[in-house]
Amino acid sequence: MTGTLLFQSLVLGVLLGGLYALLAAGLTLYFGVMRVVMIAHSAFLILAAYLAWFFNQQTGMDPLLSLVITVPLFFLVGVGMQRLLITRLRAATLTMMSVLLTFAVALFIEGMIGFVWSGTQRRIQLPYSGASIEFFGARIAVVKLVAFGLAALSLALLYLLMKHSRFGQALRATIQHREAAQLVGIKTDRVAGYGFGLGLATAAIGGTALSLDATIYPSLHWHWIGPLMAIIVVGGLGSIPGAAIAAMVLGIGQSLLQVPLGTTWAQTIFYVALFATLMLRPQGFFGGRLAQRF
Amino acid sequence: MHSRSTPRMSTRTPSRRALALAAGATATALVLTACSGGSDGEGGGGGSDDPIVIGISLPLTGDFSEPGKGVQRGYEAWAQFVNEDGGLLGRQVELKILDDQSNADRVVQDYEALIAQDEVDLVFGPFSTRLVVPSARVAQEYGMLFVEPAGAAAEVFEQGFDNLFYAAPAVADDHYNYLADHILAMPEGERPQTVAVAAMDDPFAQGTAYGLRDKLADAGLDVVVDEVYPPNTTDFSSIAAKISDSGADMVIGGTQYQDAVNLIVALQQLDYQPTLAAFSTAPTNPEFAAAIGSKTEGILSPTGYTETASWPSNVEFVERYTELHGNPPGEDEANAYTTGQVVAAAVEAVGCAEQGECQQELVDWLRSNEVETVVGPLTWDETGKPQGAHLIQQYVDGEIQIVLPEDAQEADFVFPKPAW
Repeated sequence: MTGTLLFQSLVLGVLLGGLYALLAAGLTLYFGVMRVVMIAHSAFLILAAYLAWFFNQQTGMDPLLSLVITVPLFFLVGVGMQRLLITRLRAATLTMMSVLLTFAVALFIEGMIGFVWSGTQRRIQLPYSGASIEFFGARIAVVKLVAFGLAALSLALLYLLMKHSRFGQALRATIQHREAAQLVGIKTDRVAGYGFGLGLATAAIGGTALSLDATIYPSLHWHWIGPLMAIIVVGGLGSIPGAAIAAMVLGIGQSLLQVPLGTTWAQTIFYVALFATLMLRPQGFFGGRLAQRF
Repeated sequence: MHSRSTPRMSTRTPSRRALALAAGATATALVLTACSGGSDGEGGGGGSDDPIVIGISLPLTGDFSEPGKGVQRGYEAWAQFVNEDGGLLGRQVELKILDDQSNADRVVQDYEALIAQDEVDLVFGPFSTRLVVPSARVAQEYGMLFVEPAGAAAEVFEQGFDNLFYAAPAVADDHYNYLADHILAMPEGERPQTVAVAAMDDPFAQGTAYGLRDKLADAGLDVVVDEVYPPNTTDFSSIAAKISDSGADMVIGGTQYQDAVNLIVALQQLDYQPTLAAFSTAPTNPEFAAAIGSKTEGILSPTGYTETASWPSNVEFVERYTELHGNPPGEDEANAYTTGQVVAAAVEAVGCAEQGECQQELVDWLRSNEVETVVGPLTWDETGKPQGAHLIQQYVDGEIQIVLPEDAQEADFVFPKPAW
């Protein structure tokens, strides 16, 4: 193993971790706001990637422009899904039933993608898909850098929104103590709906970022949901900074472990981390006291 | 069972009652299913004017959906052309295709159902070695002839199947034979010295890559990277980083489809420039050039089929297929069509197509005869292994063309590979 390879792997790990962070942020948000385990998150991710591909196919324009359509669309779908489906689940069994409900939604989306665009594997052909820039001896692919930038920007916006807006305060209050939030006059149902929409909007951004540098097919989402679930548990359920840190650590870990262990074993890092977390610190390593309630 | 439980139901609590009702309903449903299965079978297997029903399970969704759909198009084209020409033994041919979702458990269920329940007259194989082995075992248990279009790895022929025939010119290990010979024939100073190998954890993909790797290693070339990745891998940047870091002269990919595309793009992103690059399966796929763009120049791939081959039945096949679909058939379509041709040749020669003794007669006939197909004349050894080698194709001037062996070439072998 050479120093260059190690540094290259580190760079790739950071880029991968950034994407994981954005995707896990949405997933942990649903759980934080509504105790919903959103299995369909990665299915929406792939749907967004397909929409980006379709947009590029039809208009010939850069797939990033499809964000103008998909982000608001996914936000509305998220609000609608929360208002029309999630709220109908009984509060006592909400978490468990949400697994079933969103599993069904994931299957539905996968089926519809296959129905509309067939199972053929698709890839967006970009003039800059093979381009890269030199960075202290390592090479950074332009598409990966764009995806990383998109993820970092979205996470920063999410952070600002959560910390410095009235809506963010209401959302965090709802996460922390729903009844208390209601007592001080927060319309928690509406806030929860917007929170769900926000989570789905991150899936739109993540999916578009993914579409730049991936070959997509309808069942691809199953490859994503496992690692993402592991990340939000390690990071502490409901904690966005926790999810971001865990995503970065595990993404870099996976990338570095591939050098000595190979691809097959490097994947297990997510599940090893998951088991370790559940055994040693079930509430997660980076915040998230919510898990203690379950 | 249903009638016995009815009188006791009244004394039970509501929930038990519901359970008993459900059990009764299930039993009824099972009986109904069994009945309808039986009548279906009679309809399919009986009189001489009935269509010959052929059972097939294919990966129409999941990891192998891309080649799976190609195989489906090939089978359907074969059935249509046969029917247009008056059928087999004067009977029409009907395909019954199930989707196994690229899942080995599912494929076993599918063939069990097709053979035992639907009582199909013949079966054709599914796609990919991982699915061929379990399904061939089912066919073996029922004594069915099993001609398959895709199980090319060595392990297929080590299972002791005596009903299996692979309908293609060569097994996976022999795919690159012409390329290996060509590289080893170069002067020592000019030929590549180091080789990087990345192969999917899949018997076919590994078979092709390792066949070439081992021949080169035996001749003294250095294997500097030898990576295996699971079939669900989508991020190839780390593997690409290892290959790039090794600076190998030549890269060999034991690939299917999306893995080859993702790996090649990842290698390009790292600006790795080998003098030879060979990938199995993907480059012969029409989607490949669209996915990679203009950066395909010089990429090598073995192929068991080319639309330009001059075998008599191929000329006709390409013409009719192109008329039907608007584009010429690919390798998957051709292998499926070949499967149909092989079975049809046996059926016409023996004069039967049904379950039972007929199947063994078909097997015996194929064991000792040569069949003319769209991939050329085929013969098999006692394990069902075909006796030939694959053509080597290369992207030359933006088009995939045969470069090896020299007597079949459409363009000159390009070495070293232009930068991508």
